[in-house]
Amino acid sequence: MRKAMVLFACLFAGTVWASEQAGEHGVANESKDAEGDDVAGYILHHVADSNEYEFEVPLSHNHIPIHLPRILIPFHEGACTPMADTHGGHGEVYPGLGQGCLDLSITKHTVMMWLAALLLIGSLLIWSNRDKTKLVPRGAGANLFEMLVLFVRDELAIKNIGKEEGPRYVPYLLTAFFFILFMNLLGLFPWMATATGNIAVTCGLALCTFFVTQAAGIRAAGIGGYLKHLTGGVAPWLWPIMIPVEFLGLFTKPFALTIRLFANMLAGHIVIFFLLGLIFMLRNPAVALVSVPFAFGIYLLELFVAFVQAYVFTMLSALFIGMSVAMGHHDDHHHEGGESHDHGKAHHLG
Amino acid sequence: MSDQEPRKQADAPGSELGETARQMRAAEPYISAVWKLVGGAVVGVLGGYFLDRWLGTSPWLLLGLSLVGIGVGFYGFLHAMARLGKRK
Repeated sequence: MRKAMVLFACLFAGTVWASEQAGEHGVANESKDAEGDDVAGYILHHVADSNEYEFEVPLSHNHIPIHLPRILIPFHEGACTPMADTHGGHGEVYPGLGQGCLDLSITKHTVMMWLAALLLIGSLLIWSNRDKTKLVPRGAGANLFEMLVLFVRDELAIKNIGKEEGPRYVPYLLTAFFFILFMNLLGLFPWMATATGNIAVTCGLALCTFFVTQAAGIRAAGIGGYLKHLTGGVAPWLWPIMIPVEFLGLFTKPFALTIRLFANMLAGHIVIFFLLGLIFMLRNPAVALVSVPFAFGIYLLELFVAFVQAYVFTMLSALFIGMSVAMGHHDDHHHEGGESHDHGKAHHLG
Repeated sequence: MSDQEPRKQADAPGSELGETARQMRAAEPYISAVWKLVGGAVVGVLGGYFLDRWLGTSPWLLLGLSLVGIGVGFYGFLHAMARLGKRK
């Protein structure tokens, strides 16, 4: 305890000294704002997706860029002509889909997703228990995977979807859980990037859950019951308004999934970069006494967050699938402790 | 992974729905009713705005469809609440 207090006092004294130093020498410097902008630019450059993979050689200022292949599909002649970059970045800027240019280029985050998928397949091939004669898995990797798989099945699938329907959706939930977990963890290694810090990736994952949720609803209620559910149980003359309302309501859940995962993964990285960036913003190496331990703390927290985010995404996916299944299974609904919910006549077809 | 062990665990007491799932399912009709109330207004306003832009009738369709949307939203909300009350 005493050691911790001494350490805290040292860190605090270091911060005060550093800020005073910055006040005396740093603030007067006019280039301070520019320095701050550079740090912000550096952070944004590192968390954003890009068409080139940049390796920084340790203890040097050397960068080795690897240009990833560009795949551009123009909808009309000349739609994919490079434009002038107004944001001051390097590299070529291409028109978007609105201008008739479909950009299917391989980016840094695409590479990370492929790497996560390869690592996942590889580790499962190594650690899955393929010998059916042995019931107990051997080795730390196999035990860890078994623990996580059982957790997803028993604590997420069965507890959120139900004992009968839960096991049917376990393969999807396991895929989502491990894929997100591997992407999150990959981002914590040097030279790597967090693909889940890209809204397009989280949107894609949320869309997968959306389609599984709708399929579960259709499977449970039948196509007729599913469509009747979309009418909101109101009189037919109100359907022109109520159907768009219910249809839009379907997208609120995947939207929440998208934003939550994206924002949480991005925020952690930005916090670490900013803590380290403080050293350069305040132009004082003494700041490192505080910012490096803090950044290390946040980094450890990120390790925890990588698991938590994979868990929360899978848990919410299971919850939404469970709610969709319950919509069709009226009887099970009562059995499993949930109150019946009302969506007009849809339940009668369950 | 064994086939026997998981089955045992799945059938064990306490492997039914979790508390969160139970609460979410209980809350779902209320969330749905609130979405009807809000969504009606949102769809009315957006529908009116875009139809106005398309047909060049600004602001009449925006005003009209907003009122219709709010009305339908209220109707949907009250309808859902009334059905819920009856069921209880």
